Amino acid sequence: MKAFEYAAPTTVDAALKLLGGPNAAALAGGTDLLGRAKDYVTSPDRVVYVKEIKELGGITGDAKSGMTLGAATPLSEIVHHSGIREAYPALWQATSEIGSIQIRNMSTVGGNLLQRPRCWYFRAGFGLLGMKDGQSLVRAGDNRYHAIFQTDGDALFVSPSSLAVALIALDASAKVRGPKGERTVKVEELYRVPRREGESELTVEPGELLTHVMIPAAGKNGAYEARQKQAQDWPLVMSAVNLTMQGDTISKARVVIYGVAPIPWRSEAAERVLVGKKFSPEVAAEAGTAAVEAARPLSMNAYKVPMTRTVVKRALIRAVQGKGYWEEG
Amino acid sequence: MAEWPASPSVIGKRIPRLDGLLKASGKAKYPSDVHPKGLLFGAMLYSPHAHAKVKSIDTKTAEKLPGVKAVLVIAGPGTTLRYHGDDIAAVAAETEEQARDAIRAIKIEYDVLPHVVTEAQSMAEGAPEVFKGGNVKKGRGQTKGKPEDAMASAAATIEATYTVPMITHVCLETHGLTVGLEGEKKATAWASTQNVYGIAGDLAQALELDRGDVTVYTEFMGGGFGSKFNADVWGTTAAKLSKMAGGRPVKMFLDREQEHCAAGNRPSATAHIKMGADREGKIVSVIAEGHSTGGVGNGTNMILPYVYRGVPHYSVGQANALTNRGGSRAMRAPNHPQSCILTEAAVDDLAEKLGMDPLEFRLKNLDPGSPMTPIYQAEIPIGAELIGWREKRKPRGKTGTGPIRTGLGMALHTWGGGGNPGKQVSCTIHPDGSVDIKTATQDIGTGARTILAMIAAEILGLQPTEINSLIGNSSYPPGQPSGGSTTTPTMAPPCYDAVTKARDALFKKVASAFNNARPEDLSLKQGQLWAGGEPVASWKEACRKLGTSPISVTGEFVDGLSSTGVGGCQFAEVSVDLETGEVKVKKIVAIQDSGLILDLLTWESQVYGGVIMGLNYGLFEEVVMDPTSGRMLNPDMEWYKLAGASDIPEIVVRAYSPPDEKGRQVIGVGEPPTISTAAAIGNAVSNAIGVRVTEWPMSPRNVLNALATASREGRA
Amino acid sequence: MTEQKPRDPGGLGGQSRRDFLRGSGVAAATAVLTGQAAGVLDEAQAAEESTKVLSGTVEITLKVNGQERSCEVEPRSTLLDTLRNRLDVTGPKRVCDRGSCGACSAIVDGELVYSCTTLAVSCQGKTIETLESFETGEGSVPHAFHQNDGLMCGYCTPGFVTACKAYLDKHPNATEEEIRKGIDGNICRCGTYVGVLAAAKAAAQAKKGA
Repeated sequence: MKAFEYAAPTTVDAALKLLGGPNAAALAGGTDLLGRAKDYVTSPDRVVYVKEIKELGGITGDAKSGMTLGAATPLSEIVHHSGIREAYPALWQATSEIGSIQIRNMSTVGGNLLQRPRCWYFRAGFGLLGMKDGQSLVRAGDNRYHAIFQTDGDALFVSPSSLAVALIALDASAKVRGPKGERTVKVEELYRVPRREGESELTVEPGELLTHVMIPAAGKNGAYEARQKQAQDWPLVMSAVNLTMQGDTISKARVVIYGVAPIPWRSEAAERVLVGKKFSPEVAAEAGTAAVEAARPLSMNAYKVPMTRTVVKRALIRAVQGKGYWEEG
Repeated sequence: MAEWPASPSVIGKRIPRLDGLLKASGKAKYPSDVHPKGLLFGAMLYSPHAHAKVKSIDTKTAEKLPGVKAVLVIAGPGTTLRYHGDDIAAVAAETEEQARDAIRAIKIEYDVLPHVVTEAQSMAEGAPEVFKGGNVKKGRGQTKGKPEDAMASAAATIEATYTVPMITHVCLETHGLTVGLEGEKKATAWASTQNVYGIAGDLAQALELDRGDVTVYTEFMGGGFGSKFNADVWGTTAAKLSKMAGGRPVKMFLDREQEHCAAGNRPSATAHIKMGADREGKIVSVIAEGHSTGGVGNGTNMILPYVYRGVPHYSVGQANALTNRGGSRAMRAPNHPQSCILTEAAVDDLAEKLGMDPLEFRLKNLDPGSPMTPIYQAEIPIGAELIGWREKRKPRGKTGTGPIRTGLGMALHTWGGGGNPGKQVSCTIHPDGSVDIKTATQDIGTGARTILAMIAAEILGLQPTEINSLIGNSSYPPGQPSGGSTTTPTMAPPCYDAVTKARDALFKKVASAFNNARPEDLSLKQGQLWAGGEPVASWKEACRKLGTSPISVTGEFVDGLSSTGVGGCQFAEVSVDLETGEVKVKKIVAIQDSGLILDLLTWESQVYGGVIMGLNYGLFEEVVMDPTSGRMLNPDMEWYKLAGASDIPEIVVRAYSPPDEKGRQVIGVGEPPTISTAAAIGNAVSNAIGVRVTEWPMSPRNVLNALATASREGRA
Repeated sequence: MTEQKPRDPGGLGGQSRRDFLRGSGVAAATAVLTGQAAGVLDEAQAAEESTKVLSGTVEITLKVNGQERSCEVEPRSTLLDTLRNRLDVTGPKRVCDRGSCGACSAIVDGELVYSCTTLAVSCQGKTIETLESFETGEGSVPHAFHQNDGLMCGYCTPGFVTACKAYLDKHPNATEEEIRKGIDGNICRCGTYVGVLAAAKAAAQAKKGA
């Protein structure tokens, strides 16, 4: 880790001033930033500790009018929030499966959303696109954990935030403050596919601070993830869904998938299948199938295709029916 | 021939380890914890390339950085670096942060050379050479009978390629030591090692001192599993840095990345196996061709067929493909887990082909010439009962209709684990009644410290907590390096010998003080000295009669107390999600014979631990290399996956120990129980999903790939 | 926040913090363009006065296991390295050093965290507990680990003991499944989980009985 200076402001205004310098980084839980710094993937000259800024903390609102999460809210607070558990099971399920108790105590909503990809080529110092001598290391190498969508491009890593997937399914927005003032964007707009090395996959600019996440009232929502370990591990793929129902009929659907693309992957194909239909496990399966139609896996991750089909189907069933056909007992 | 007591009062009981509370309270000081006065922090610079020549190396900037006290170049200009993680240079500085900064400030120009990091790259025609003379080394081949003819006449045959990847030891305390010098003549080190006695020699050589001038302490150490027998480059480098820094102690422990890349691995193994059986279910022929890589070190020495050595016809060929990876080291039962997986997968597949219960098939094919056979014959029914084989097991693929399928699998294993003569233990009985047991062995987590105290306590009629079990010090009498499950069977006999002789000497000295008893009338039990069936004095009172002269005896290996050769079997029950490929192990049953069990509590821990390490091998572990850059992609504990608490199934452990078994004396148990777990899990997965997953570990990827392949080929 | 004494008040190679904010801060630059320079600079100064910027080597005081302990660190020094290298509190171990294995677990202001991924400077004014401060008598978590052989080489043990203690303190009625999830942030290589779970259950039982 390179040496840096450190400040712990108590207000957002002060934090923004401190973040205004070149190569400054906001530090919240530290679980991502400090790992990157130790690996010399990110070497900030100044670290601004924002986790304890009071205006960035807390969960407010209710299921009817929607809820607001302060960006510095630890993930453990979401897990312990019964209102969230009831209104936004997709968010609750996604959050309670993140990392471990230690990780959830440390990590924050903002930090999770703005964490950098776990791609092992990126973390080894080969850049976000993992290129060496003009060749994609990812394409030629071990891409078992990489993308299956938009793989004709250069960005083959997968977006690392499962929280983002749940929040996008819930149609959440984010408040971002910076030197130019405050802006509100959809959570999905926090992410983009970088077109060249050096371009970030995040749209939050240096010097800006994500301050709040606003979640509107939700329909029937849920999440499902597949992973290798039961203990602390990353999802291999995961899906969060949110269905607005009119009677038995699905009037609006949001289906978002983790682990398949450099951005949280909104599956409009799956959503199209769902809208206007009465929910049934068969319809859920159809949506899962539609979700992977455009998948073009890399050399080592074709397994993600059936897995993705499954997690979409199961997230839908879980959202509407609670318990699923795959659960024992 | 010496004998263990027929009705022991301490041996065989569940005795919590003597140092357990020190460890559980954070007060145990490991070699990486010690902080001698004037301590400097070391850091290693290692190769980011799989294969490169050092063109130039410039340490000037690094040397001038604040806090830097010594910089040592290990790989000077012209040196070839052969793997990601290969040692280049080292630094000692006042703080660890400064040491790492200095490492970054060393300027190196590399001439990057073409590399081979996968077996395919290594074996390709015209591949770059790891060392001069070619990458592929033919290993031990064996032929018995006429395997081709026998195969042709077999009633059923199978043919498949099975693969298990390279894994690493992942010692939680990384390799390293803390070492300092007093003057130029004496050195003291705290080493994380399985060989406290031997390391002293390594360091003495590096410092050009006599062995006796170097004292090495290993009071505690954080895991070795076969990879920590030598001081290694980083250890001797730390000693040299200390010398350069005027003797100030230097703490040098690898970072996790170099630990994964350079501090040892269990080699991969792949074998193409043909196996044939006759109509009765007797294996008649095995034809196997295998290859493996242990990086720049040895590959797997595959024992094929494993366990079923009675097969009348077989031919086995194998090759070690050198790669630009760190070299292999012994890892918990070297060669056996790989051999077990390869053989037991094929055996299972052949039973399936014949339509036979794989348990019956195994019983039929036990080697009639092996002393292990009666042990397996006794163990298998016990294990089958405990896992519910008869009630629960369905034929492969006939496991239901839903997405979650359960399956059962099993596998057999064998190991030596005997004791060796040549090591010593001293026993001192002090006039105040305290008892010191000393030997230069170490407790790597097996409970060796406690076991020595238990033996002494047994013989002296005391409690283990009343014995000072002093180990982990190179100046003590020569002790056993902890490897090959030999520590207990090697150290128990000289301990028994020393304590027995010390006791007899005590009897001789004090007998007259107790109603003029004869020494042969005396005995010790329940903390008392007994004469002719009556307690006559407490232990302390008896010892007080020694006056000012303690008794000190050095014991040697004696016959009759330790033995070798064990057999075991394991059963696994798994559930597999056909739609996600996720495998959950629900239950493992491990039946293990290991002769006389000294401490049942720590014995069980060893077996549980072996099973869990095998579970990791079966479900999670693999070294992932990047073919283009030649780097290890998962030198961490995030993508190098290891089980956490929620991954641990119900584990049922049974010692197979009928009375005549106990007569076989003490045998080590560190290694055997880790051998067959991964094989049993793989077989259970195949049983559950109806197709063989030929590649370990049983990851969702490998499971879904196997299902997809089978589906493409119309098999499922 | 407790007192901090920046050793190297410049910290930017001769450039003062004020210069830094004035000359190169994006906030300042933007403000100039929008004609609000004066106001922003005032705010910047106000922010600077209220927020100390630490650099170089700083002396900090940490409350570790009930004692105020002072030492010199760098802003980048992790809590783990500070405890181990500077304060000789070596219960927490460095194993993965990346927040994956739990060996470095410590309790900061009542919450279980990975100390390898926590900056020491961010812990000033907080209560830091490591397992060295835990009760070890009958009924305690360390005692239960010892009696149930929830350890072998022992290097992961401090992390497991700490995670167990933190979890049981908050969830005294936890089921075995919940305890497993509670300690899923920790990894043992010797494979002591069976003993660890037995110990955790025994400690939970003892706590209830007490």
